[in-house]
Amino acid sequence: MASNRQHPGALVEMEGVSVNFPVKRAYPFSKRRWIQAVTDVSLQVSEGETIGIVGESGCGKTTLANAMIGMIRPTAGTVRFQGDDLYALKPKAFKDARRNMQMVFQDPFSSLNPRFTVYDIIREPMYIRGGVSEAEMKAKVLELLKLVGLDEEDLHRYPSDFSGGQRQRIGIARAIVLNPRFLVCDEPVSGLDVSVHAQILNLLMEIQQNLGLTYVFISHNLAVVKNVCQKVLVMYLGKVMEEGTSDALFANPLHPYTKALLSAVLDIDTHEAHDKILLKGDTPSPIDPPQGCRFWQRCPFAMQGCETIPPALVDIERDHRIACHLVSGFSSEHQASGLDKPIAQ
Amino acid sequence: MSRQNVILQIARRGGSLFSLGKKLWQHPKGRVGLILVGLLVLVAVLAPVLAPYDPYDVTQRAEKGLRPSLQHPLGTSITTGQDILSMLIYGSRVSLMIGVSTGIAIAFLGALMGVMAGYVGGVVDNLIMRVVDVLLVIPTLPLIIVLTNLLGRSYFVIVLVFVAFGWTGLARVIRSLVLVLKNSNYVKAAELAGASRWYIMTKHILPGTSHLIIMNTTLTCAGIMVAEAGLSFLGLGDPTAISWGKMLAEAQGGGALLFGAWWWILAPGVGIFLAVFSFMRIGIVMEEVFNPRMKASSSIYKLFKHLNNDYLDEVFQSMEDEANAEPAEQPNGSNPPMAEGAHD
Amino acid sequence: MIDTMLEVRNLKVAFPAPGGVIRAVEGFDLDTAKGECVALVGESGCGKSVTALSIMKLLRTPPSVSRVDKLQLDGRDLTHVTERDMEHIRGKDMAMIFQDAMTALNPVMTVGKQIDEIYRRHTHLGKKEARRRTVRALDLVGVPEPASRANSFPHELSGGMRQRVLIALAFACMPKLIIADEPTTSLDVTIQAQVLDVLQSMQRDHDVSALLITHDLSVVSNMADTVYVMYSGKIVERGAVRELFTKPAHPYTHGLLASVPRLSDEKQAFVQIPDTVPHPMRKPSGCYFHPRCFRSSDRCSQRMPRLETLSSGRQVRCWHPLRQEREI
Repeated sequence: MASNRQHPGALVEMEGVSVNFPVKRAYPFSKRRWIQAVTDVSLQVSEGETIGIVGESGCGKTTLANAMIGMIRPTAGTVRFQGDDLYALKPKAFKDARRNMQMVFQDPFSSLNPRFTVYDIIREPMYIRGGVSEAEMKAKVLELLKLVGLDEEDLHRYPSDFSGGQRQRIGIARAIVLNPRFLVCDEPVSGLDVSVHAQILNLLMEIQQNLGLTYVFISHNLAVVKNVCQKVLVMYLGKVMEEGTSDALFANPLHPYTKALLSAVLDIDTHEAHDKILLKGDTPSPIDPPQGCRFWQRCPFAMQGCETIPPALVDIERDHRIACHLVSGFSSEHQASGLDKPIAQ
Repeated sequence: MSRQNVILQIARRGGSLFSLGKKLWQHPKGRVGLILVGLLVLVAVLAPVLAPYDPYDVTQRAEKGLRPSLQHPLGTSITTGQDILSMLIYGSRVSLMIGVSTGIAIAFLGALMGVMAGYVGGVVDNLIMRVVDVLLVIPTLPLIIVLTNLLGRSYFVIVLVFVAFGWTGLARVIRSLVLVLKNSNYVKAAELAGASRWYIMTKHILPGTSHLIIMNTTLTCAGIMVAEAGLSFLGLGDPTAISWGKMLAEAQGGGALLFGAWWWILAPGVGIFLAVFSFMRIGIVMEEVFNPRMKASSSIYKLFKHLNNDYLDEVFQSMEDEANAEPAEQPNGSNPPMAEGAHD
Repeated sequence: MIDTMLEVRNLKVAFPAPGGVIRAVEGFDLDTAKGECVALVGESGCGKSVTALSIMKLLRTPPSVSRVDKLQLDGRDLTHVTERDMEHIRGKDMAMIFQDAMTALNPVMTVGKQIDEIYRRHTHLGKKEARRRTVRALDLVGVPEPASRANSFPHELSGGMRQRVLIALAFACMPKLIIADEPTTSLDVTIQAQVLDVLQSMQRDHDVSALLITHDLSVVSNMADTVYVMYSGKIVERGAVRELFTKPAHPYTHGLLASVPRLSDEKQAFVQIPDTVPHPMRKPSGCYFHPRCFRSSDRCSQRMPRLETLSSGRQVRCWHPLRQEREI
């Protein structure tokens, strides 16, 4: 599959990004093992878009997000921001570029320094950057407080005085104070009460519209992603299983993993219990992952060849790619060797 | 650290120390500790004013071995006729000075090493931790004996050795905490905004450890005071100074047990006990103050002792559904009112 | 007459605290039939976990104070039973599955030994026989290679496996009632589906009554027969699960259901319930939900509504419940 090098209008681009972490050796001279957190992921995010990265724990989504915002240098591949190779920038340009990217974290209880007042927390990025007077900072903080739905009197309170949802609002205010162009939301509502999810999600959408932001939205909940994102990437154990525009993908989800994720979502509108797709076994460890398709051990439709041959990401229709032997089929030689036979249960 | 930063840090800590002091005062056990420490400091500072006699006065041959009386509330020593009360008062100076100065020096050194090891990591971390390992192995008592032989007996040697070897405990504990704090999301957020490592160390990491430092220092002071008393008892301290430990040594050597001069032993013993007790009390209460959950559990028990059963009954009564005549609005509009509800 | 397994009448739990009293549970009633799965739904702070603990009589006084008119398990009155007798009941007749397996399991004992313990405590089995049963229990909950896995320590197992061990622990003596407190909240979505499947088959196959406590509506929809919705210490709605989900009567239930993101939606804003759950020490006057309710009136701010019966098995606590003909 040929990848386009330049996407005019793409704010962030990742090409063949892999991130590997070394595992501490049991004893010196033993074989070095690697955690393949992210393997060969490519994506493009255009200005104003929201791209969703879906997956469960261990799939590499947080590592991917960290690589995108300059926190982790990829072991292979390039990350481009506004056309520039992010990790090749000089330190000053790197810092400037990174100010355009910010993150909203998952856990509202640990993402705010408990000893800082709300004012300190939100103004901190401005303070670090410098060049803004105290009066200007205060004005901006007040403006943002109102934007996220908090009061002026909350300025001098501490995070422990607030609920999870309110803390998340503070975190969001902090994330947008430097007027970033690009925001990574790492499971922003997973740690919150159900009735607050909608509030925070609506706030994020409102801010995106008003400020023209680009979002990378990480979640394991496909229903939320469907409502919020234009593009979706489904990841498993560091690799992309299925990707495309959300319209195309949700109209026709084909990868067994995507289907399993979908079946786990509550669909109140159908009155009968829908078919649950139950996967086998547990998420394997990302240390030295399987050679072939990384999903094969849990896949209910696994075939012989899935164990050894990694599936390539192929187009199956416009704006919809999938990496699965079940869908793309095996080549004729492979079929001849019987690799397309299902694995005995 | 630049001088400005050091001063800034002390000032910052001062601010939070004040609110800490307030909280300690409100806690009943903490109040006791604070009062005792306050008294101790007062006694040490005002020693010349408070002591009725000159403690160094060894000329009062006639006053030797006197039992406690109005003139000498704690009696006099058997060997030299020194007034024990005055010696007790002056002895507090040594204990307090050594305890507190060593404690503070350890706090600085231990915190610095701990934060550097934890935050900078890598080679620095390894280096510092190996130094800690080595220092922990070396026995301090024989070292002090050797050094005092070489350099002469003085408290300077003792403080030096305590500080040089005592920072290790704090450094280890701080390092563990720093390792956790380093990975906090708010540190990440600051890094995203372009914060330098120095900024993060001073604004986020160090304040995050301040609780631990203060608590540890208080308990360290208590420990040092006991250790100093022991060393003075062994005769390793400054022979010209008056210290409680030395008083105990003199008492033993002067035959206090033999002659039944219990006041000579009791006075310095009680002095040591009170000094250490007050610091430890503050340290323990501080842990409760810093850890709200601990505080809650201890105060809840007290709350229960004074619980008013009538009040509770009222609360439970208010939880009952009201027995009211009007039914709820009918979901199906025109139907007549239903029978009474499910339970009463 | 349906066999009633668990009956709770008028459970109240309060936590005295400096500055007031935390009103955790305010008059809770529950009926669970034999083999039925009842779900207790609510958000954090609504009192559901406290309810579970009080049914198991695991709440200590201090820090809590509780009153209950009636607590009956399979006909046996537990209201005034001694702690000693409770120790025999817990694990054997009544068992609990906790949320976090890492803290519920003893980290220094192998999982096999922990399950063995249950057998040896409540039945008088020898070591070998207990281990045989343990392996069988692990097999039943879907742990692969149960004989060798029994010798693993909790930290050597994955989250899903640990949760299965908790299920095995709870079902070991085939209790009459299982209380599951957020059994899958900390797990990944696909693992959650697996674990729930196990839980459901264990419950159904062995005709065990279950009290499922959760905030996750999808779990409820899959597993429960009856749902109790709890808000700020009070039951606000009760009904059969399908009916409640399609025709909620209480505005809170309606809000919860409406705010769940749907797959079939066109892209639109999420329906939200304004504000947050009230602080358990500073509850609003009248109906606790009224400040957030789109149907509230003056009466709602003045008086707490009673729990009224709408039809068989259906109750709601609201002055203006939603009309029942309209589907959501």
